[in-house]
Amino acid sequence: MYRKLALAIAFSPRMEALIAEARKLIQIFEGELILIHVGTKTPELEAQLSEVLSRHCGDLQRIKTIWKEGKPTKTILKTCEEEKVDLLVLGALKKEGLLTYYIGSVARKVIRKSKCSVLTLIEPKIETTHFSKVVINGTELEITPRVIARGLKFCQAEQSSQVHILNEIKLYGFQMATAGEGTEAEVANTRRKLVQEEINYVQGILDSLEPTDLKINIKVTAGKWAVELVRFCESIEADLLIMGDEQGLSFIDRLFPHDLEGVLEVLPCNLLIVK
Amino acid sequence: MESLAHNDVINLLLKLATMLLVARIFAEVAQKLKQPAVVGEILAGIILGPTVLGMIGPDFFEFLFRSNPSANLALDGIVQVAVILLLFIAGLEVELHLVWSQGKSAVSISLLGLVVPFVFGFLTPYFFPGLFGLTEEKKMLFSLFMGTALSITALPVVVRILMDMNLFKTKMGMVIVAGAMVNDLIGWLIFSVILSFMGRAGNFSLINTIGITLLFTVFMLSIGKGLLNKVLPWTNKKLAWPGGVLSLSMAFCFLAAAFTEWLGIHAIFGAFLFGVALGDSDHLSEKAKEIIHQFINNIFAPLFFVSIGLKINFFTNFDLGLVLVILVISFAGKIIGSGYGAFRSGYTLKDALAVGFGMNARGAMEIILGLIALENGLINEKIFVALVVMALVTSMTAAPLMKWALNKKAEEPG
Repeated sequence: MYRKLALAIAFSPRMEALIAEARKLIQIFEGELILIHVGTKTPELEAQLSEVLSRHCGDLQRIKTIWKEGKPTKTILKTCEEEKVDLLVLGALKKEGLLTYYIGSVARKVIRKSKCSVLTLIEPKIETTHFSKVVINGTELEITPRVIARGLKFCQAEQSSQVHILNEIKLYGFQMATAGEGTEAEVANTRRKLVQEEINYVQGILDSLEPTDLKINIKVTAGKWAVELVRFCESIEADLLIMGDEQGLSFIDRLFPHDLEGVLEVLPCNLLIVK
Repeated sequence: MESLAHNDVINLLLKLATMLLVARIFAEVAQKLKQPAVVGEILAGIILGPTVLGMIGPDFFEFLFRSNPSANLALDGIVQVAVILLLFIAGLEVELHLVWSQGKSAVSISLLGLVVPFVFGFLTPYFFPGLFGLTEEKKMLFSLFMGTALSITALPVVVRILMDMNLFKTKMGMVIVAGAMVNDLIGWLIFSVILSFMGRAGNFSLINTIGITLLFTVFMLSIGKGLLNKVLPWTNKKLAWPGGVLSLSMAFCFLAAAFTEWLGIHAIFGAFLFGVALGDSDHLSEKAKEIIHQFINNIFAPLFFVSIGLKINFFTNFDLGLVLVILVISFAGKIIGSGYGAFRSGYTLKDALAVGFGMNARGAMEIILGLIALENGLINEKIFVALVVMALVTSMTAAPLMKWALNKKAEEPG
């Protein structure tokens, strides 16, 4: 599924954990690994890296380290394009301060602009993370069928134990208030219909895919989907949230937050953005 | 504190009971005929008012609605609160995040659906003041008012139609809803500016009022919204539910309303903006929204719509020529504007026409606008009646016209 993985490294205390996580993914997807570091190449750093690599990736044949200088975000994105990377892995902090939110950290900038899928890890571990409880965004969007298809493939490879697909009823309160002009039975019927329609949408997508042995749970929420997704991930302590993205987000989108922005503001768990 | 006498109380209660009862009966009849409840409630007012009851049972009408000034004053207070609450839920319905997610086509449909009817509404009285019996000095303000009054789409009516036609969740449905939301927001902004022109008893000069209005808008939609996002999780957690969020949101709605009234623009504007900020907050649950809607829609809204008919004689103030002129410019403006907006964003001609017909529905907002203009002496009763008729006709025809446009499409080969 993901043949070419890239990992952005910054020689932070979390670097070793990130390398271990990337190594695990390579094993699952049987792909090759590219390490990208934006900064000056020095013998010390090189020695430090090769020491970590020998500990985790000693057996790995197809591995490449790219050293480049320049602006971090641009350089990472450009390298990914040149190398035709399928999945970019990077670490990010769970929460940003208000100032960094508007100016943007490297991780979030990369998430917004990347052309390939991005896996953001908020707590990389040396013993690696098992993505056991996964939440997939099933909100009706153009990209959703693809997100669900790719997401389920990822879950299969990872052997996730529980997959939740969340879909939302748009303007639920308003719709129900409008339906309130009917009799009690009609209102109850509308309520049922609204929920059923959303389940049917996700079920329709699932039916079009090859059956899996995953335990899939379809859940319907009301309210803004980004907020509901974050809440749900937190309540079940999800390991991974999978969602698509809206292209071309800019500064304006941060003033008038799009739904993806709502999730990026406070990452509820690890995040896989399917492109 | 002064209080109502024994007789006043009885009279007030009788008024309220009659208004709610008759409104309910007509709302039910309207729904049976596949019409919005608003239509029935307005008709109920016309029947209870001088137009019908005043003609066939003048003594009873006199006893119920005219004989008791104290009770009338009390009723007026209740109706004022009703209007403020109506605007509050109108604001609550505007979900900015939905608008942004619909992108360019919603903005295009909405802006063209606002600008074209505005231009039609503005130019007609401006160049043909005779049609409206206008004097020269009132012309400018009146034209501005007419432009605004023709450009606000009735969101609740539209949502109901879309739900009935199973179009709500389609791309077209969402674009219409988002378009109507933007319409509401901008329409009210323009109107608040007109209100400050009207020179009501305010505390500031004109420029200051406009400046403060814009500042208040920006404040409510940025910092105000941020504050709400901080306060709401706390109220949800610590206070009774839904009691806490209900009483607090009402209290702040009235505060915002009082503030804009003090500014010299109308109280309703503050309520509307507070509604927008609250509705767009992440932490107001859909369940709470539903409850707020239900009790305002079913108790306060009917009182307001019936009260319109009580104030004015729709028969003696009915001017067929005027009604026709307003109908023509309102239909033409909205259908051409929104339709062209939709066509430009890639809809087929028939779909674009359907969008135009959907956006054509007007309702409560035009009537509230008209009422304020009437109270401020900007328009006369004849024009107000014509506006109410326009709201009724556009609301009643929106669904059949949309069906017609979409059916036409189905009949086409291929």
